[in-house]
Amino acid sequence: MQALLNTGSTIDEGRLAKGGNKYSDEYTKECAVCWMCAEDFTSLGCPEKVSVTSRDGKHTIAVYSKVTEAMKSGQVFIPRSIWANIVVEPDTFSTGSPRYKGSPVFVEPTNEEVLSAEEVVLKLYMGGE
Amino acid sequence: MVHKNIICPVCGGSCDDVQIDLDTKNRTIDVQNACKMGNAKFQEVVSNHRLLKPTIRENGKVKEVSWDEALEMAADILVNARRPFFFLGSETSCEAQEVGLHIAEYLGGPADSNATICHGPTVMGIQESGMVGATAGQAKNRADMVVYWGVNALESMPRHMSKYGVFPRGYWTKRGRFDRTMVTVDPRVTPTAIASDLHLQLNPNSDYELLSALFTILNGREPHPSVEEITGIPISVMKQTVEMMKESNYVAIYVGLGVSSSYGKHRNIEIALNLVKELNNYTKCNIGALRGHCNVAGFNQLASYLYGYPFGLDFMKGYPRYNPGETTCVDLLREKDVDAAFVMSADLVNHIPADSAKYLAEIPMVCIDIAPCPTTTASDVVLPGVIDAMECDGTFYRLDNVPVYFEPFTDSPFPETKSNEDTLKQLFAKIKARKEA
Repeated sequence: MQALLNTGSTIDEGRLAKGGNKYSDEYTKECAVCWMCAEDFTSLGCPEKVSVTSRDGKHTIAVYSKVTEAMKSGQVFIPRSIWANIVVEPDTFSTGSPRYKGSPVFVEPTNEEVLSAEEVVLKLYMGGE
Repeated sequence: MVHKNIICPVCGGSCDDVQIDLDTKNRTIDVQNACKMGNAKFQEVVSNHRLLKPTIRENGKVKEVSWDEALEMAADILVNARRPFFFLGSETSCEAQEVGLHIAEYLGGPADSNATICHGPTVMGIQESGMVGATAGQAKNRADMVVYWGVNALESMPRHMSKYGVFPRGYWTKRGRFDRTMVTVDPRVTPTAIASDLHLQLNPNSDYELLSALFTILNGREPHPSVEEITGIPISVMKQTVEMMKESNYVAIYVGLGVSSSYGKHRNIEIALNLVKELNNYTKCNIGALRGHCNVAGFNQLASYLYGYPFGLDFMKGYPRYNPGETTCVDLLREKDVDAAFVMSADLVNHIPADSAKYLAEIPMVCIDIAPCPTTTASDVVLPGVIDAMECDGTFYRLDNVPVYFEPFTDSPFPETKSNEDTLKQLFAKIKARKEA
């Protein structure tokens, strides 16, 4: 499924980030989550987890799925975090600010493991150190 | 002991009414008046995960070292780099940022701050159009219509609505919420949208078109019918919104990253600022950005005052240059245009796109932080941070660019440093000693 990705704050994302708890399970459960509407969730087969892939196909990340009335069909939301930023496009339109909102992504059901923030850094950014 | 009127060092609200009861014996802290985010940050003073020892990475292994050893290695990394990059985060004081800017100038590297990945496009829009601004207090006392455009204030600046925006009783809005009309423009049904009188649930990336249509209606013309399909908002609702604005005594518009980070970027802000100027022909109207960090506005003020540009400075040629898209953090890292990094009081690895973050993790990196996070994991040198407004004094600039001087209620836990400013001065001395040897 193709969708437009929106990222942003949630109050518990803020509480956990400001409280220095980015390596906690609670932070992963709050932020490694893809919000979508019931219609899109059903069309994907009601998966527990989804993989989100960037438009250029270079980056993919597995996250939990969440159904909410906050979203319209064709739009997904991931709280601002290392998981969301895996698939945020790095081009800035010559402003310095990447496309945190409104980038097209591909969302599919997955059985991949949802990595913790520390595992994302170690496995995806530091080559498994 | 109870301390009153403490400044909160978290979001751009920089709340100035926090009350603290710190029990140093039992290592507990009771926090009154702060929001969930503020309370969490104040708990860092007594937390068990606080970084208290400097560490370095040697042959892939992380080990604790003395303060002096860590500073020596940090100085080596920055002096030996051909183009060191300085990211001077915004959860620390202007005083610390100033020393960081001077180090960047001395070493001829680029320097940037959270503004670049936050309201950088907003600042660029202001450079294009100018801004009808007001302090948060002016808006509180006068505004009878409040518009949150592309911002979920209840979750990103949780006390804004209760302290300045919607609920407080102002001089001209004595009944608080009952004297104000609240409008939210957001593609999501956020808690802020639910609390609003009117929610314009526009399609993503259609802010420019919606602002253009409002501008057209304000000028007495009919917008093109296609704008309904593009934005998802009926023209009748757009007209109703414009009428509400014109009939208000004072409209306060607060923009968030929904405007500046969507397609259109600074052009969205530019047209929003022009709409506000035009609205002042009919009523009073101001616009302001809800800034994400307690001192993100401070870096813009400081860098503009010292070097003439608000963010994305590059000292490579011996004088400051500013070219967003070239000299800004995400672009420098994406293009692999720097070969070492210094990151202060910001979890940069967590908050930038993968291509940029991966390169940042590859190059030698020095960071100052208070808790374990992706940036400390990827750093070669980690210097423990001092928490501003709790353990040292200094200056923040609030969301409305008002400077706020803060005083500590406890001391730095480190005998080696009093503040991040002090740490940077020590680092600068070591850098100078190496360059001038």
